[in-house]
Amino acid sequence: MDLSGRFGARSGDGVPFREAAALESLHIGGGEEFRQMVPPENAGGFTALLELPPTQAVELLHSSSSSASQATTLHSLGTLSFPSNPLLMERASRFSVIATDNQQNGNVSGETTTTSSVPSNEHIKTEPAETETCDQAAVEKQSNRCGKRKELDKKVKSSTKKKNKSSEENEKLPYVHVRARRGQATDSHSLAERARREKINARMKLLQELVPGCDKIQGTALVLDEIINHVQSLQRQVEMLSMRLASVNPRIDFNLDTILASENGSLMDGSFNGATMQLAWPLQVMETEQSYHHRQLQQPPSQQWPFDGLNQPVWGREENQDHGNDHNNLMVGSTSLHPNQVKMEL
Amino acid sequence: MDHLLLLSLSLTSLMQPTSSMNEQFLKKWQMGLQIFRPSIDNTSVSERKRAIKLSADVAMASLRKGTTCWSRALIQKAATQDNFLVRQMLSGIKEETLINKKLPKIVCHRKIVRRSKKILMRRKSKSAMEEVAAKAKKLVKRKTQGLRNIVPGGEFMSNNVLLIQETLDYIVSLQTQVNVMRSIVDAADAGVER
Repeated sequence: MDLSGRFGARSGDGVPFREAAALESLHIGGGEEFRQMVPPENAGGFTALLELPPTQAVELLHSSSSSASQATTLHSLGTLSFPSNPLLMERASRFSVIATDNQQNGNVSGETTTTSSVPSNEHIKTEPAETETCDQAAVEKQSNRCGKRKELDKKVKSSTKKKNKSSEENEKLPYVHVRARRGQATDSHSLAERARREKINARMKLLQELVPGCDKIQGTALVLDEIINHVQSLQRQVEMLSMRLASVNPRIDFNLDTILASENGSLMDGSFNGATMQLAWPLQVMETEQSYHHRQLQQPPSQQWPFDGLNQPVWGREENQDHGNDHNNLMVGSTSLHPNQVKMEL
Repeated sequence: MDHLLLLSLSLTSLMQPTSSMNEQFLKKWQMGLQIFRPSIDNTSVSERKRAIKLSADVAMASLRKGTTCWSRALIQKAATQDNFLVRQMLSGIKEETLINKKLPKIVCHRKIVRRSKKILMRRKSKSAMEEVAAKAKKLVKRKTQGLRNIVPGGEFMSNNVLLIQETLDYIVSLQTQVNVMRSIVDAADAGVER
């Protein structure tokens, strides 16, 4: 779709905003800088947040894989903030959302200025702060706002490319200005419905990407079928695995934490052949497991944890020669809590 | 809301759960299993399986720290089975609110709905296109109802948008659960064979 092509070109601009808003777990140092950089980034401010995600999520992956340190991301932000503004404005106009503020009416129509970033500052600044809010309340608020007030602008400006899309609402604004498509009904109900439908479609696209084998399928009902099957299969797998664990000798399954903890310790040392052991008892278990994994090279485990870009900084030390060790990767990078725990137990 | 969406987006873009999620899940799950440890000798296989599954579910749900609907519903369901275990596992602040809070269920009496729909359909004149569209909509509705039955807390989600969002997050969390459990089972098997 043309959206992805367009957004692929601007890999930098939307991403840092997403990072600031969404990935709280990253503990980005200098969060204040992020906040300040975010407003000029979202000069448009009315980008269809929900239309962006599918592609921006991919960009997230790229950016987080490319940036080894957070300092570099911040640095790249600074360089990108200015050029991204006109691009964002263009994007905003494409999504045909008109700002509530009068100052921005002229801007959104396609002219690119950066002055319009100022009014949107307050809106955008509160957004990162609201990352913790409960989604349900927010969703209900959103639907209320949608239903209550949507102003329609039926004028067709020459400079606009607004025939393409109608808009999603920005949850920061009390009400949303929506431009009607050419030849479409313009009453508030159908517009609200259309916005809702587009939201649902965006999320369905995400689901399609997540569930394997859903890309080829056309039609909502079949996709939903696949999703239901996938969820059911995952739940059945959990049942089976817990039954297997329970049927194993109870001493082993409840002592698995010590086994894994010892693996933790040895892997944290960076030694891969399990040469260095800290504790006597897990030693035998560790060695046997390592040999088991080496043997497993021919048959890789069915479930392999991702060795993708996001993990590379973390697992960087571990260029492992054997792929069969993938499900051991869980151990590396965990806290030093485990070796202490194990020492206490033994 | 968007925070959750974007968080889950960052995960879905990777198509699989992150390693940190795996570790967190493992830690919490181990914590739950430790709670169960004292009474492990005098239990049957089914009891143990129940405890394992329960602690795994609560661990998975607690990763979300109450931000998602399905996690809250899952914890509440677990609390009905083993309140003590759940309380021990969720030693955070949220436990009380999580366990006590409950949303109104969306209940539609099917007979009444069906009857009213029949009446409505009688008045409308059907064109070919309308019929097809109506059937497609019916199908989709049936599927979404099926999805609500599957996803924990589905009945409490008032709109489809929320439902799909929650499903996304739920699938990712299930994937972490399955990954970690499978790796442990493999390790246990390896240990047994020796």
